[in-house]
Amino acid sequence: MPFKDLREFLARLEKEGELQKFDEEVDWNLEAGAISRRALETDLPAPFFEKIKDYPKDRRMVSCVLANLKRIAIAMDMAPDTPMRELIEEYLRRQKKPVKPVTVKTGPCKENVLIGDEVDLLKFPVPVIHEGDGGRYIGTWHLTVTRDLNTGWTNWGMYRHMLHDAKSFGVLAPAPKHLGTMADQKYAPQNLPMPVAVVLGSEPITTFCAATPVPYGVSEADIAGGLRGEPVELVKCETSDLLVPAHSEIVIEGEITPGDERDEGPFGEYTGYRSGLASPKPVIRVKAVTFRNDPIFTFSCPGVPLDDSASVFSVNKSAQFLDELRSKGLPVTGAYLIVEGASHAIAVSVKNAYYGIAGEVAHVIWSARHGLLTPSVIVVEDDVDPCNLQQVFHAMMTKCHPGRGINKIEHATAWPLIPWLSEHERKHRMGARVYYDCTWPVDWDRAELPVRQSFAECYPKEIQEKALRKWRSHGH
Amino acid sequence: MPQEYETFARDSAHLFGGKEVVMTLRDLTPGRRKYRGINVRGVVSRPPRPGEAVLWIRSVVGNRDPAPCSVRIVEELPETFQGLPYSDFFEAMQRA
Ligand SMILES: Cc1cc2nc3c(=O)[nH]c(=O)nc-3n(C[C@H](O)[C@H](O)[C@H](O)COP(=O)(O)O)c2cc1C
Ligand SMILES: [Mn+2]
Repeated sequence: MPFKDLREFLARLEKEGELQKFDEEVDWNLEAGAISRRALETDLPAPFFEKIKDYPKDRRMVSCVLANLKRIAIAMDMAPDTPMRELIEEYLRRQKKPVKPVTVKTGPCKENVLIGDEVDLLKFPVPVIHEGDGGRYIGTWHLTVTRDLNTGWTNWGMYRHMLHDAKSFGVLAPAPKHLGTMADQKYAPQNLPMPVAVVLGSEPITTFCAATPVPYGVSEADIAGGLRGEPVELVKCETSDLLVPAHSEIVIEGEITPGDERDEGPFGEYTGYRSGLASPKPVIRVKAVTFRNDPIFTFSCPGVPLDDSASVFSVNKSAQFLDELRSKGLPVTGAYLIVEGASHAIAVSVKNAYYGIAGEVAHVIWSARHGLLTPSVIVVEDDVDPCNLQQVFHAMMTKCHPGRGINKIEHATAWPLIPWLSEHERKHRMGARVYYDCTWPVDWDRAELPVRQSFAECYPKEIQEKALRKWRSHGH
Repeated sequence: MPQEYETFARDSAHLFGGKEVVMTLRDLTPGRRKYRGINVRGVVSRPPRPGEAVLWIRSVVGNRDPAPCSVRIVEELPETFQGLPYSDFFEAMQRA
């Protein structure tokens, strides 16, 4: 059974040892961020903050909600120890069977309704997540709803939102992200304000789907229904026709007016750095806020070596790339957006490698949606599990020739957040890409290929069993 | 406690020299409303002048310059800067 709301999911996480409650006072200003970062770096449970400095008892916070594989598997209603490769394949199967949402009259997110002058976003414990951030970030784990002006298609995306003051915040969602594309192509040319709703604390799959790379024109709500195996229940906003998940903790309604910009950033990003992109960005002016009683404010704490975006993308983006590669008929056996690589690197395993296959794989990745965020492609043979970083790294170091194996593409479109770009390259979106061919050359004598020396590969079955028995008899 | 603000700037040199500059200040008064942003026209001084609000300058990547400044707010500006059309989004993003 899918989870009805965030609260049900958090209760389950607690039961699984994946949630830690903090009943002592915690400061929204850096301390909650530091506790979260520590959790991410040492694989601790998701922190749930019950008492927040400067705020009354009924304001609570949670972070790192889907920050590891186990939590994602639980959210997908699968066994907590499901291996990565299975999770990716299952995600793909369900994504291909979308289920349309249903509209309901009302829901828990309407327990409190504040409109116009009553709105004060500072009544929520909006955190300063890292020292040096440009401000308090109200949107780092949420879904942002917008609707196409002509077709009525509704998009969900997760885009950072920095709070400016009690009634406004910014957004970073440049094209090809759908919010930016809609605003640029549809609303701005007609000089119309674009209604926006920012939803915090909906059930885990809906939030997960806000960060899933589906094509323009496809509603993430349908994908969420497919993943849940049950439609998402939506309810109408107070000040616009946008629909939002009815069981959400907090819904912020507002609009973006073309040309209305304010300084936003910097912010410690998914790349693991606080770098650049402090600049004027569109502003969302708030018209209403609705929320559950005792609302739970959700956030994520990006950084190195990983965070929620890395874990989420290692599942949904891997699946998308795998699907894309298969649809081109390439003999691909697995694809994995390496969780430690901050979305920058993908490992792909192939069988029956032929001359040039690595290049074909790389170019399919780069032509896929958001492929420009992943400039490094590592192609291995299928004796390597692409989800096993140790194996992938070993193949890179031992099979990839530094001359003919490393293939650089010098002139490519850049995603401006990539940290190795110079300021000039960032500005003009001038990037580069590389693929690592870790397959044995096709013109080497097959009979003389180096033979990998592993327990499974270089001992006869009966010797392996004997060895295992002996280890077991010593208690291992 | 004296009023205290911070601001983010790419090239902080343009803030000095006694001229009026337009900037966003983040209000560092402790409590629930900390980091509220206000747009102002003001004059920045380093070293700080007695009696003026303290101002800290951060770089575009958020590093705080350890030398304190002060700011005299000449006028508070509307919440919106003169906006660029949405189609100039990238330019605006990179202009900072
Ligand atoms: C925690 C988190 C934060 C994110 N922040 C941003 C952001 O600030 N800007 C952005 O363009 N994408 C951000 N993303 C990635 C987008 O959510 C993702 O690319 C999504 O597919 C965008 O939706 P769209 O394809 O409908 O535009 C973030 C993802 C996660 C998981
Ligand atoms: Mn979308």
